[in-house]
Amino acid sequence: MEFLQPATWSEALAMKAAKPEAVPIAGGTDLMVEINLDHRRPATIIDLTHIKELTEWGMDDGRLRIGAGVTYARIIDELGDRLPGLAMASRTVGSPQIRNRGTVGGNLGTASPAGDAHPPLLATEAIVELASTKGTRQVAANEFFAGPKKNAMRADELIAAFLVEPARGPQQFSKVGTRNAMVIAVCSLALAVDPKRKHVGIGIGSAGPTPIRAAEAETFIQEVLEEHRLWERHVHCEPSALKQFGELVAAAAKPIDDVRGTADYRRHALAVLARRTFRWAWDDYRKSK
Amino acid sequence: MAVRAAVHGTVKRREDPRLITGAGLYTDDVRPERCLHAVFVRSTHANARLAGVDASSARGMPGVAGVFTAGDVLFTSDTARPRLCGESVKFVGDAIAVAVGETREQAVDAAAEVVVDYEPLAALVDSTTAADAGATLVHPDKGDNIAFEFDIGEDGALEGADVVVRGRFINQRLAPVPIECNAVVAEPDGEGGIRMWTSTQVPFNVRSQVAEALGLPESKVRVISPDVGGAFGAKLMAYPEQSVIAALARDLDRPVRWFEFRTENMTAMTHGRGLVQDVALGARSDGTLVGMDADVIADAGAYAGLSPPQLVLTAMLASGVYQIPKIRFRSKCVFTNTAVMSAYRGAGRPEAIAMIERAMDMLAAELRIDPAELRRRNLIRGEFPYTTATFCTYDSGDYERALDLALEAAGYEKLRAEQRDRRDRGDRLQLGIGLSAYVEMTAVLNTSEVGVARAEPDGSIVLQVGTTSSGQGHETAYAQLAAGLLDVPIESIKVVTSDTAVVGSGSGTSGSRSLQIGGSALRAACIALIDQAKEEAARRLEASVEDIVRFDDGRFGVKGVPATALTWAQLAEGSPLSAQAGFEQSDQTYPFGCHVAVAEVDVETGEARLVRHIAVDDCGTVLNQMLVDGQVHGGVAQGVAQALYEEFVYDAHGNPLTATLVDYGIPGIGEIPSIETVAMETPTPLNPLGAKGIGESGTIGATPAVQNAVIDAVSHLGVRHIDMPLHPMRVWEAIQAARTKR
Repeated sequence: MEFLQPATWSEALAMKAAKPEAVPIAGGTDLMVEINLDHRRPATIIDLTHIKELTEWGMDDGRLRIGAGVTYARIIDELGDRLPGLAMASRTVGSPQIRNRGTVGGNLGTASPAGDAHPPLLATEAIVELASTKGTRQVAANEFFAGPKKNAMRADELIAAFLVEPARGPQQFSKVGTRNAMVIAVCSLALAVDPKRKHVGIGIGSAGPTPIRAAEAETFIQEVLEEHRLWERHVHCEPSALKQFGELVAAAAKPIDDVRGTADYRRHALAVLARRTFRWAWDDYRKSK
Repeated sequence: MAVRAAVHGTVKRREDPRLITGAGLYTDDVRPERCLHAVFVRSTHANARLAGVDASSARGMPGVAGVFTAGDVLFTSDTARPRLCGESVKFVGDAIAVAVGETREQAVDAAAEVVVDYEPLAALVDSTTAADAGATLVHPDKGDNIAFEFDIGEDGALEGADVVVRGRFINQRLAPVPIECNAVVAEPDGEGGIRMWTSTQVPFNVRSQVAEALGLPESKVRVISPDVGGAFGAKLMAYPEQSVIAALARDLDRPVRWFEFRTENMTAMTHGRGLVQDVALGARSDGTLVGMDADVIADAGAYAGLSPPQLVLTAMLASGVYQIPKIRFRSKCVFTNTAVMSAYRGAGRPEAIAMIERAMDMLAAELRIDPAELRRRNLIRGEFPYTTATFCTYDSGDYERALDLALEAAGYEKLRAEQRDRRDRGDRLQLGIGLSAYVEMTAVLNTSEVGVARAEPDGSIVLQVGTTSSGQGHETAYAQLAAGLLDVPIESIKVVTSDTAVVGSGSGTSGSRSLQIGGSALRAACIALIDQAKEEAARRLEASVEDIVRFDDGRFGVKGVPATALTWAQLAEGSPLSAQAGFEQSDQTYPFGCHVAVAEVDVETGEARLVRHIAVDDCGTVLNQMLVDGQVHGGVAQGVAQALYEEFVYDAHGNPLTATLVDYGIPGIGEIPSIETVAMETPTPLNPLGAKGIGESGTIGATPAVQNAVIDAVSHLGVRHIDMPLHPMRVWEAIQAARTKR
C-alpha cells in the first residue's frame, strides 16, 4: 500500500489528479473499519490530516464554510449555536473517541445512507464544495448522494468543505435505534425551520439507498403553514395536517427489511419522528416570537 | 485458639492501579523473541463437506513459516470436535487450517491464499426443528441431532389448577464479547516441553488438554493465565486452538502467538443461552402455585460444549424462590450448524429464573393480582435448608426480606401510582415496573480447592490458590482475608494464581465459586500457618507451644515475655514457613435477591429505556462491599444487555448476521442507569466464611426484571409477552398486535 501525505491542499489535489484511485483518509473512522474488516484494500491512501485549510471554518458570503476536516466534536463545541441540527446529529455519532476523529467531510465521502450528518445537511440545504486541480464546483447536498455509498464526486476530486447558512430558526434531529449512540440507526430524521424564508426542510437517514430529502412533505407543510397564516399567528397546525405530513415523510422513504428493522416499522417510525420533531421545532418557533 | 476474623469492609482493588495505568500483563503483552504469528482459516459455510484444502500457493508466500491443514499437525489423541477440520465443517467459524508467518500481516495474507473446496450442504439453524423427522443431521453418523435429554418430574403437574398461563419464551443466543478475545502464546521450553500463556478461566484444564493433545506428561506443559480481559464463562473450556498453537510451537521449534480478531471472536468463540421454553404455570384462583410444566429446547451449537450440564442447572432451578409442589421439566439439547453453545454469565441459571419470573408476571396479569403480591404469596418461607420439587437444597435464605427491601428502596407504591396516572393521561411515555425475585446456585461445577499460605524471610506473605481472576478482584479479596487472619498489613501479601508451574492444582474460576471455595481453602491454610509460626516460635524460644501467644504488635512470643518475641520475617528466616490446606464444600450455595427495574416505553415508537434499577443481592457474608457492588454493576449491565439490546443472529443458511460490534449492540454507559444496590447478608452454613458467590447474581436478577418492566409498561394495552431483546420494533409490533386483537 502506498501512503501519501500531502502538506498542502494544492499538493493533495495534484496527488488525487495523478492517482484518481487513491482513497483519502481524514479521521479514518470509516475507512479504517473497512480496511480492518478486509472489505477494502486500497492501493493508495492520501492522508489529509496535515492540511490546515480543511480544519478551518468561517463565514463566506452569508454562509458558513466549514472545512471537510472539521471533526464532530468541534461542530458540537464551536458551531452548536449556529448549526443546532447538525450538532444534535453529531452528538449521536459514535463514542467521544469517534467524535474526536470523525469528520463531516468523511461522512460525505462515505455517503452511507445511515451517515448521521446527512439528514441535517439535507434539511438545511447545505452545499458540498468539491475541488480538483481543474477548479472547484458546488453540489447541493440533495444532488450529492447518488446511491448506496455512492456520491457525485469525480475520481479526481476531493471534498474541500460544505457550506450552510447559520440557523435562523429551530432545528431538530431524532433517531430510532437499539441504543443511543454507536449504532446504525433504524431510521433518523432532521428538520429545520427557517422563518425568514418560510421554509421547512426535512432530511431522512437509514431509510433508503441514500439519505433522502422529503421534498413533498416540505411543500405540504409549507402550504399548510402559509394557508392558515401559522407563521404569523404562532399557533400549532391541525393534528390532521400533522398526520398527513408524517405520512408524506414516510412515503418519501424507500426502506428495506434488514436485521435492524422492517420497512413497515421504519416508515411508521419516520412518521412519528416527523410529527414529533415538527412539534418540538414549532413549539420553539412559537415561543421565540 | 480463636481464629481472627477477616478484615471486612471496603478495600480498594489492589489490581486496579496496575490495570488502569496499562501496567497489567495480558497475553498480548507476552512478546517472546523470534515469535511467529498464527492466523486460522475458518469455514465460511455452516455445513459443508471439504472436497479439498489447497495450501500450496499460501506456503510459498513471503515470510510464511508454514500453513497447516488437518493431518499436518500431529496430535496423540482425537477429540469429538476436530481441532482442524479435514472432512467437513459444521458452522461458520470452524477451523480448517492455520497459517504461520513472521509477521501477523504475512500470516493474514497466507491464510487468505488457502483455497478451500467446499461442497455445501443444507444447514440446520432452527433448534426447534432439530428433533423433527427428516431434519438435516449435524453429525450424520450419530443418527439424530439430540446431544442430551434431561427430564424431571411426572405428568399432571398442573392438576388442580384453577388458572393456567402458557407462554413460549425465547431466551436468545448471546455472544459473550470479552474485551480481550481468545489469545495464546506458546513456546518450546527447551526441555521438550511447552510453556504457554493464554487468556482463560481454567489454566489447569488447558494444561490437561494440551498435554493430552501433544502426548506430553502434564509436568511438561506449563500454562499461565496472566491478566484476563473478561471471560464471562466463554473462557471456561479449553479451546482447540490452544492445542493447535502449542503443537505449532513444538513443530516449528519457535514461539507462536495467536490472537482472535473481533469478528473471528464473534463467530468462533462459544456463545451462550439459546433456549426455547414452552412453559405452563398453574395456580389456584387466590394465586397459590400448583405446578409448572415446561418443555425446553436448548441449542447446543455444532459440537458439545457446556450446554448439556447447563440444562440440568436450568431444570434444578426451575422453582426459583417459590413453593411449587409439582414441577415437570422435559428438555432436549440439540445440535445445530452454529457456534458452540457454552457458559455465559449465569450459565443455565438465568434461563431458569427468566422462565419462572416471566411466567409469574403473566399469571399476575391473568389473575389481576399485583406482581409483588403474587410473588409474596408463593415465596419459600420458614426453615432452611429447603428442598425443592427439583431436588435443590437451598442452604439459607430470607426471600421475603429481599422482596421487602427491594420494594421499599424502589418506592413501589409510589411507582404504581405514577404508572396509573400516566395510563389515565394516555402519556406517550408509559412507565413499567418489573420485578424479579431470584435464587441462584453457586460453586456449581467443583466444590473443592487447595490453598497455600507462606511466610517469606522478607516478612511478606505469599498466597497460592487454584482460582483464576478475569476481573473479579481476587488479589484484593484473598489478601484482605489473609491480612485479617494473619494480622499483617495487606501490602505485605502477594497473591499468586493461574500459573500451573507454581500453583499445584486448581479448578479455576466459574460458577461464582472463588471466594467461598478458594477463600475457604486459603483461610484454612492461614490458620495452619499460624500454628506453624507458633511451633517455630516455641522451638526457637525453647518454650512449649501452649505458652506461645501473639502480642498486640503481631509478634509471636512466650506469654509475658514480649522482649524475645519474633516477627513473621524472623520466624521465616532460613526457611519459609509454608502451610497447605484443602477445602471441600458439601454442596452448592444459593445466593438470592430481588431486583426492581423501572422502564419508560415510548408507545409511539416502541423505544424502551431503563430509568432505574434497584438490586438487592444477598451473597452471604460480605468480605468487601465494593467488590460485591462491582460484580453487581457489571452483572446488571449484562442483564440489561440481554433484555434490551443483544442477540446473536444467523440467517436461514447459518450465516452470522451480527458478527461485528456495529451489528451486535452491546450497551454503552449511556444505556445503563446508576444502579441502586441494597445490602443484605444471610450467611451460608456450608463454609466457614459464610460466603456465597456474587459474580452472576446481577445478571440473573436483572434480565427478567428489565424484561418484565418493559412488558409491564404496555400491559394495559393488552400486551402479555415480548421476547428479548426488546428492540423498539418488537415492542411496537407487540403493541400493534395487541390493539388488533382487541
